[in-house]
This record gives sequence, structure tokens and C-alpha cells, in this order.
Amino acid sequence: MNFEQLLFYFFSTVLVAAAVMVITIRNPVKAALFLVLTFFTAACLWILLEAEFLAIALVLVYVGAVMVLFLFVVMMLDVNLVRLREGFAEYLPIGGIVAVLLVLEMAIILGPQRFGLGNFPEPAGHAADYSNTRELGRVLYTAYVYPFEIAAVILLVAIIAAIALALRRRKDSKYQDPRKQIRVEPAERLRIVKMPTEKRG
Amino acid sequence: MLENYLPIIIFIGVGLLFGSALMVIGRLMGPHNPDSEKLSPYECGFEAFEDSRMKFDVRYYLVAILFIIFDLEIAFLFPWAVVLEDIGLFGFVAMMLFLGILVVGFVYEWKKGALEWE
Amino acid sequence: MIDFAWSVWNGIPAWSQVTLVNLVLIIIIVLPVVLGVAYLTFAERKIIGYMQVRIGPNRVGPRGLLQPIADVVKLMLKEVIIPTNANKYLFVTAPVLALAPALVAWAVIPFTDRWVLANIDASLLFVLALTSLGVYGVIIAGWASNSKYAFLGSLRSAAQIVAYEIAMGFALVGVLMSAQSLNLHEIALQQAGGLHQWYLWPLFPLFVVYFIAGVAETNRAPFDVAEGETEIVAGFHVEYSGITFALFFLAEYANMILISALASVMFLGGWWAPLNVVPFTWVPPLGWLLFKMCGLLFLFLWFRATFPRYRYDQIMRLGWKVFIPVTLVWIAVVGAAMQTPLGFLFH
Repeated sequence: MNFEQLLFYFFSTVLVAAAVMVITIRNPVKAALFLVLTFFTAACLWILLEAEFLAIALVLVYVGAVMVLFLFVVMMLDVNLVRLREGFAEYLPIGGIVAVLLVLEMAIILGPQRFGLGNFPEPAGHAADYSNTRELGRVLYTAYVYPFEIAAVILLVAIIAAIALALRRRKDSKYQDPRKQIRVEPAERLRIVKMPTEKRG
Repeated sequence: MLENYLPIIIFIGVGLLFGSALMVIGRLMGPHNPDSEKLSPYECGFEAFEDSRMKFDVRYYLVAILFIIFDLEIAFLFPWAVVLEDIGLFGFVAMMLFLGILVVGFVYEWKKGALEWE
Repeated sequence: MIDFAWSVWNGIPAWSQVTLVNLVLIIIIVLPVVLGVAYLTFAERKIIGYMQVRIGPNRVGPRGLLQPIADVVKLMLKEVIIPTNANKYLFVTAPVLALAPALVAWAVIPFTDRWVLANIDASLLFVLALTSLGVYGVIIAGWASNSKYAFLGSLRSAAQIVAYEIAMGFALVGVLMSAQSLNLHEIALQQAGGLHQWYLWPLFPLFVVYFIAGVAETNRAPFDVAEGETEIVAGFHVEYSGITFALFFLAEYANMILISALASVMFLGGWWAPLNVVPFTWVPPLGWLLFKMCGLLFLFLWFRATFPRYRYDQIMRLGWKVFIPVTLVWIAVVGAAMQTPLGFLFH
């Protein structure tokens, strides 16, 4: 076993262990942190595959951004574990069926007849100056330009959906608008009322 | 390519060890005589009340979601910037279209007031 | 004796030789960074002292030069307090998680023409990914402390770091376009030849955005609402004491030095001398890099002495509504210019 294989097995073990922790640990914040560890080790595995750009982008986007959102959400949840467990027996049959179906589907698609080791030639290692990012860039914006633009549209939809779901104006917040304050004219604040002097009653 | 990453793996190990070692040293060298007052959460002299993990404004989630979207945009921009000279005008126009679509979203969130903090 | 050492060295397997060499190199990088942090705190107190017509620390050692050492010893001898309501494991992991990325990022910084520890191709992306990990230390610290101030501080800090990271990323895209490379070493190499080759000039708006975003990312004044002594006492690390606090402190200052180093490499020509004439070429390359870093670090301290703390909504407005549009426009300008014969201006 050479050093690279050793690293592979080390990262895989950590990955699987962390993934198991995500679904078994009680504390949701800790579960989210184990998910971070899972992503991170997955990135390390991708580096072993020489997919440098994707690996670092995984850390940048998933660990650095998506998981921050997850943590935000999870930290604020008042998760009542007892109540969650109440429905466990009730949902078990349906959950079990779905799980079995998923495993079957994955076995059909990912089975050895399609993704077996024999179906692919062993990838050749690259030289030290190989630029994964450059290779990716050369095709992404030319050969795959339509998927690329569609990605923009999906992101646009995501922006609009996020705003539609989460934007709420608070009625009770008080704040100053300096622009309004500066532009105020005397006439808006002060009304001079002319009235005839009244006779002494 | 992989050999370049070896120092980084070792460095990650050293980085984690360095912090942990300092913690252990500090724990061993410092005194250790806790009492209940010392260990209560700091609250400017008041007795701590309520759970400190309160609910907060949904706005934070919105900022986080927008952050993810823009982060993805950056991830798309990086390979583009590196090969811009190779892919020429076509690549430039492709990216301007991409950014144009996203600027629409940016203008929308600006006008909607999603970027305002009250 | 030397022969014996050689035979031992040759006797151990090749992979452990490589590991040992790397370990030594890493220590050669980490120790100066830590020492730099110690003396940066001293410089900060002295410089801000002079700016405010005070003397600053001057009791420990000649002119107070041993003050940072005394500080370190004091922080180590203080009691580590873990609050009763805190989540113990996360509470002690948070400082380690804050410090590690701040140190690891140094692996890819090119110090001179030949001296870069890990010359990976995507080093710039690597640094950006690592700085985005720094937010975990802050969030976990705030949550694990189970204290209101800490919690508020970590929320503020997270939203702020998040907003400025985008501006930072966009600013870096400009550098990539000019250099046509993701490799920091390559980026610095492209700026050889003197002052006029530095990316500072064609990418000036991006440099400004990058540096200010760097100040905000490190939670330094005037963007230090996460600590905001006057509002939330010390923010996310209010419950931390002794060495645990010191680790957060170390991470913040190591990040400051890192941002200065990155800005020097990407915009100020790294280790290259400003002019290729005699008095300038006498200084070794590393000297130039350190000189540029010191200049930028001085700016960090100067900001702190000069500007009052921003209000929270002002910070968010600056990040989202000023920096992001400015960087987007400049990316478009650089990209468009590169399609015309004027492209050489941006190389």
C-alpha cells in the first residue's frame, strides 16, 4: 500500500465515520459540524483525484457558505427531541420502503456493470504544473455555455425565491432616514396659522 | 500535482496541534479553582435570565442565502478569469450574459430592500 | 558525528525524510508568524499611543520591548474558565478552529522567487477557501458560550464576514484576469520589473476594496462591531479567558498579517523591488515583502486610531451596496479592455 492509498483509506474512514455521526448524534449543532467535517474530507478525497478546483470550490461553497446557513438555522431551532421521536414508529414502514427503494435504485444505476473498475482505464497522473482550473475554464464557457447560462437563471430564481420567502418588513423597528432629515423644509414641520384676534369674552 | 499538497496536509496537522498544545499548556499552567459565580454566564452584573440562544430575525437567513448565491457566482468567475485570454470574445460575452442575469437579481434585491438593515 | 547523523538520516524511509523536511519548513514559517503577532500587538499599542500623544507600554524591558513576552506569560498563567452552561467540547474547539486556518494559509504564500512551501496551482482559491473557514471559530464560540453577548457578537460577526467575503472574492477575480493564473507565485512573478508593473495601478479600485474587506474580515476597527465593547462587551469571546482568549487574539492578528502579505503579493509586486536600480536592489527580496507588509499593517493600526466604529447597518450597506457594485463594474471594465488592443494596460 503506497502513501496515496493510505491517505485515501484514512480520509474515507473519517468521511464515513463523520457521516454516521451526522445522523446519530443528538445535538443538531454538533450534527451540522460533523457534516462540515464530512464535506471537508470529501474535498480531500477529490484532491486525491486531482480535481483541484472542484475540491477547493467544495470547501469554499459548501463548508464556507452553505454550512454557515445550516448552522444559523440549526442554532436557532428549538428542536424538541422527545416530540420528534413520538412519530418514529408511525412513519417507520413508509420510511423503510423509501429507503429500500433508494438503495435498489442506486444499486441498479451505480452497479459494477456501469461503474465497475474494468469499464474505465486507469487515469494517468498529471505533471506538477497541470492546471485543473484552466482545463475546466476552457470548456465551461465555450462548449458548455448553455448549461452555464442556465445556472445563472437558476441562481436568479434562487435570489427571487429567497427574497419572497424571507423578506419581511418589521413594523416595530424605528430608524432614521438621514436623507429625509436633511431635506426637511420648515413648511413640513411648522404650520403658521393666521387667525384674527378674538374679542375678549 | 499531488506532491504539492503534502506540505498542506502536514500544515493542517501542525495548525491544529499548535492550537491544541497551547490550550493544554494554558490549562496545566493556570490555576484551577472554579466557583459557581465565576462560571455563570457574563451578564453585566445581572443574574443570567432566559436562555441565551434566542430566536433572531429571519433577515440573517436571507443574508446567508444571498451570500451562498454570490459565493457560487465567484466560483464560476474564477476559472473564467484564468482562461479569459484563451476563450476570447465568446467567453467574455458568455460571462457578461451570466453576470447580467445575476445583476437583475441583485437590482431586484436592492429595490426590494433586502439589503437594508433597519 | 556528522557522518553518523547522515547515516541515520539516510536510514529512515523516504516518506519520513520528506515529512521531516516539511515539518522543519513549517516551523520556520509558523514561528516568525507567531513572533510577528506578538510584536504586532506591541507595535499597535506603541503606535496608537503616539498617535494619541501617550507613551504606550514602556516598563518591561528596554523601551517596553519585552512587553509582548510578559503578556504571553501572563495569559498562559491565567485560569481557563469554562462557563457552566457552555457546551464544553465546542467551547474549547472554537479557538483552535479559529487559529488553524489563519496559520495553514501561510503554506501557499510565496516569500521570495524560490521560497514557497506548497506551490499548488490554485493557491489563491485555496487561501480564499481557508479564510472562509475562519467564520466557524466565531460562530461556534458564540454558540458554545451560551451567553447573550457572545451570541449576539457571533451573529454580527458572521453576517459581516459573510458580506465582505463576497467583495473580497470579486476583487480577487480582477487579479486573476490580469495575471491569467490562480497561482500566487505566478501572480507575483508577473509583476516583475518595477513599480509600474504592479497590479496596484490598473486594479486600484479592487485593491482598495480588497484591503478594506480584509480589515472587515479580520473584525478590526472600524468594523469591529462583533466586539463592540460599548454595546456587547467583547462579543463572541466574552466568556473566554487566559490561553483560550489568547488563541482568538493570535488568530485575529495572524489574519491581519496574512491579509497584508496577500495584498502585497497580489497588488504590490510581492518580493520585487520597486525600481531595478542600485540602492533598491541591495535589499533582499524577502526584505521588500516584509517592508510592504509592514506598510499595510501600519494602515491597519492607523485605521484603528483614526476612525470611529461604524454602525452595523452602515457596515452592511458598504459591503453590499458599494463594494459589490464597484468590483462588478471593474471586472467588466477589465474584461472588456482585454478584448481590445488596450488589454496590455491590465497586464
